[in-house]
Amino acid sequence: MSVFEKNVNCKDIAPLLVFYLCDEVNDGEREQIEAHLASCAACSALLAEDEQLQTTLLASRQPADELDASGILLAQCRSELAESLDDLSAPPLQEHWRPFGWLRRWMALRPVWSGALLVLFGTVVGTQVLPLMQNANNTNGQTMNVMAKQPLTPKQFENMTFSGITFSPSPGSDTPNVEVHLNAEQPMVLTGNVEDSDMRGMLTYVVQNGERFDAGMRLDCLDALKTVVRDQQVRGALITAALKDQNPAVRMKALESLRGASSDDAVRQTLLQALQHDSNPGVRVEAVNVLVASLQGDQSDSQETAPEEPVVAPSPKSGGPDEIASIDRVVSVLQRLQRQDPSRYVRLRSAAALRQIGPREVQ
Amino acid sequence: MPLARWALALADNNGRSGSTDAALASGTSLPNLDERALVAEAQTGNRAAFEELVRRYDRDVLRLALNLMKRPEDARDVYQEAFLKVYRNLHRFRFECSFYTWLYRIVTNVCLDHLRRRQARPEDQAPELSTGHHEEGITDFFERQREHRPTQDPERTLIGKEIKSHIARAMERLSPRERIVFEMKHYQGLKLRAIGDVLGTTEETVKNSLFRATRKLRIELGGLR
Repeated sequence: MSVFEKNVNCKDIAPLLVFYLCDEVNDGEREQIEAHLASCAACSALLAEDEQLQTTLLASRQPADELDASGILLAQCRSELAESLDDLSAPPLQEHWRPFGWLRRWMALRPVWSGALLVLFGTVVGTQVLPLMQNANNTNGQTMNVMAKQPLTPKQFENMTFSGITFSPSPGSDTPNVEVHLNAEQPMVLTGNVEDSDMRGMLTYVVQNGERFDAGMRLDCLDALKTVVRDQQVRGALITAALKDQNPAVRMKALESLRGASSDDAVRQTLLQALQHDSNPGVRVEAVNVLVASLQGDQSDSQETAPEEPVVAPSPKSGGPDEIASIDRVVSVLQRLQRQDPSRYVRLRSAAALRQIGPREVQ
Repeated sequence: MPLARWALALADNNGRSGSTDAALASGTSLPNLDERALVAEAQTGNRAAFEELVRRYDRDVLRLALNLMKRPEDARDVYQEAFLKVYRNLHRFRFECSFYTWLYRIVTNVCLDHLRRRQARPEDQAPELSTGHHEEGITDFFERQREHRPTQDPERTLIGKEIKSHIARAMERLSPRERIVFEMKHYQGLKLRAIGDVLGTTEETVKNSLFRATRKLRIELGGLR
């Protein structure tokens, strides 16, 4: 039984006026409301107010009317929805067959272990597999390319210091084997025969750049180079050392090393220069000895030959004009030394040399 | 040839209902299908059928979203979210209510979520476009020109703006649910029972919401009468 069927009053009607206005009451309620409104001015006024309010609200432009009056927003929404549906409808990307996919996943999840594994793998390949492959290639008799050893350059020599040099006799060869200990960025030991051009070049460099190396090292190098004095480069280095080295012992050693090439004009000039200008008497005496030996033509036995023994002076007829001029110059220099040299020993040695050469008419 | 194009578009779709097959075979195009057949067709995965459903209802959906959210960006988000939910869950629709009711239930739920989120975090939201000063909000050139026609009474225009501003402020006083009920009742024209179905509640609850909304508006807009 509805409340409207009896004792209907304003308190019951007022809440229903809203629904009466928007047609949301049933027939019975509508009859009761209309009957009450016919006799109640207050509720009728309230209904009029609600109706006016509703009319005002419905008459006002809604946000939708203003925000999308031209339908652009709707078109945008449809377009975006279509794109989203395309994305949803797109078939999922096919997972291609990936070999070692499990390994890649494992490595991605364990970066530290992966790094260690890669280092180990590289080490094994580098130390074990590559040599095996090279050996296999060799057994097949295929051509193998070998990189030539990079020769040491003077630039590299400049950055090196020599810490030691040792000699050992080379069986079946007159030239010794040399072992050079180098202090470079990475210490190294070079071993080879003096005949080897690299080794010879290195020893020559030491002799030519005497200021960078100690005297003992220079003497060792001169000793080694003595056997290859016929080489033009070596001879030049020895001449330089004989004239310019600061150490008299080195200069003496250089002159001694030149003994094998004393017949060379440049060497003889060097000997004469040393004889006249070297400040050390020992060097001058050594120069006399080498000169005499060269004139005797028996270099090997010149030291052992007694100075007082008669010597066979080279016959002017046996040599050419240049040879005769050279001998005359030597004799002239020796005679001057015999008279003027401040060292008594040099004067005596010069006199002995003149006797060994024999009486000559100096022109 | 629209029919031929539809036929081609649907040729490779599998699993459609027999009735729809029959309808399509008889030459009925998608726009001419009734709601039930269209939904059934869309449930089989027919994209064109789904898009036809969207076109039938999206204007109302966007209007509801705009009126409730009052911001085009939010309304666009609601539109997208609601229809994507429909697309993903269409296979769950069992025809226990009308598709329209089911769709609106989804839309109103999305709107409620957005409104509640906005109430919870107002600092994250862009300011609403003021309907009382909509000149700034309207980007369409021709819309602005209409408001400035010389024949229009400036005083009447001003009063109209004032009324809209009052209404907008009054609507702000309503709770999200009350706003939805009021909107669906007065601007969408739904019956209270249908609104109850949409909101998943009883007609009595909807009545209470509408009554409270009307009372609040009456108080807020008392000066307009």
